[in-house]
Amino acid sequence: MDFLTESLRAALSLILALDPEVVGAVWTSLYTSMAGILLAALVGIPLGTLIGVGHFTGRRAVLTLLNTLMALPTVVVGLVIYGFLSRQGPLGAWGLLFTPMAMIVGQTVLAAPIVANYTVAAVTGADPRIINTALTLGAGRLRAAWQLLLEVRFGVIAAVVAGFGRVIAEVGVAMMLGGNIRGYTRTMTTAIALETSKGEFAFGLALGLVLMTVALVVNLFLNLLQQR
Amino acid sequence: MEPILSLHHLEYRRGGQFTLNIDHLDFQAGRVYLLAGPNGAGKSTLLQLLGLLLPPDRGEILFAGSAVQGGAQRQRLRRQITLVEQSPFMFDGTVYDNLAFGLRLRDVRGDLQRHRIASALEKVGLQGFESRQASALSGGETRRVALARAMVLRPKVLLLDEPTAGLDRDSLPLFESCLAALPGEGVTVIISTHDAEQSRRLRGEVLRLEAGRLISPEAVESAMTFSAMEGAV
Repeated sequence: MDFLTESLRAALSLILALDPEVVGAVWTSLYTSMAGILLAALVGIPLGTLIGVGHFTGRRAVLTLLNTLMALPTVVVGLVIYGFLSRQGPLGAWGLLFTPMAMIVGQTVLAAPIVANYTVAAVTGADPRIINTALTLGAGRLRAAWQLLLEVRFGVIAAVVAGFGRVIAEVGVAMMLGGNIRGYTRTMTTAIALETSKGEFAFGLALGLVLMTVALVVNLFLNLLQQR
Repeated sequence: MEPILSLHHLEYRRGGQFTLNIDHLDFQAGRVYLLAGPNGAGKSTLLQLLGLLLPPDRGEILFAGSAVQGGAQRQRLRRQITLVEQSPFMFDGTVYDNLAFGLRLRDVRGDLQRHRIASALEKVGLQGFESRQASALSGGETRRVALARAMVLRPKVLLLDEPTAGLDRDSLPLFESCLAALPGEGVTVIISTHDAEQSRRLRGEVLRLEAGRLISPEAVESAMTFSAMEGAV
């Protein structure tokens, strides 16, 4: 019990003292996840809207694929992208492997199906009269789709928040594509895994507390949106 | 005179069961037309086709003599035809936001926008309603705001899907007087209705649909008389 109490005390000291290692990992996690979710939203929201309002052959198959992609283990996503970005891979010449950019690409791939799926749910649950009302008042198809998204904005924000929750807490993509390089690609999750294995439990616990706080804030926000 | 809207050999199928089939139909500018017929006759579908919200499977729709194509031309023409649905949807926001939606798309802004919105609301007896939340309106108020939202755009053709069904007695004369004034401004009004007396009140021409087909004027007269008698009983 003393071990846990002492570790917790040490972890809180590291956080309150704004330990550079802790702050560095938190910062890397936050900016890569935010960039990843931004790109995922740019892809996932239009894709989800298109699937949600569209009536096309193969729609059910696309939805099944999206659901499958949502459940993919992060290491599998990391593995596939690693294949593309590694030196022998088709995009190896870009030199992206073990850089924050590679992590952002991985997190985009990880979050886009989540954002798209949640957007599909929001759009299909919307009032079916929205699009026709916008069209008959003079909107074009794009403007009508934008109006639909405005009407279901809480569902769309929830989609983005859920995607962010997934990427900030993942370890597989960050480890495989970032390489856990200290001060460069080390995130909260990869640092927890590494430092704990080295016996630096208090350091891991400090990052774990920050990560839990971020997850708590994200979920509180999600709950707030779902109540609206 | 060139009809404002014409249908030529129009056919629209839905789910392999229902087919709307109209060989030829003209709507003249500045007139009132009433689409009568039983439930499921195709009145709402015809309004959606006339509003360019549904594409026909066969045949063509002409607006002021020009065949309606797809894409940008359809969208441009849609700005001259506005449909008020039976159960209108109000966008999230205020009454003003709802009325301003179509005006913004037409680049009507500032004082002119405010003036036109105030005037349209006054016509439907809802002056001062601008800042009300649209979601808080009663059913009758929603219909009147929907009418104002369509009239504020000054369309050449106004389509209304059973606009007075369920409207309270006090609102009906005001609602109909708004509609009756529109032909004088050159607007063609096409209304689907179950109210046999409405054609007399609005001095409109009755077009009767049955099972997706137009029936002859003689049959219309007889059917409307029968409906009126039914209503009286």
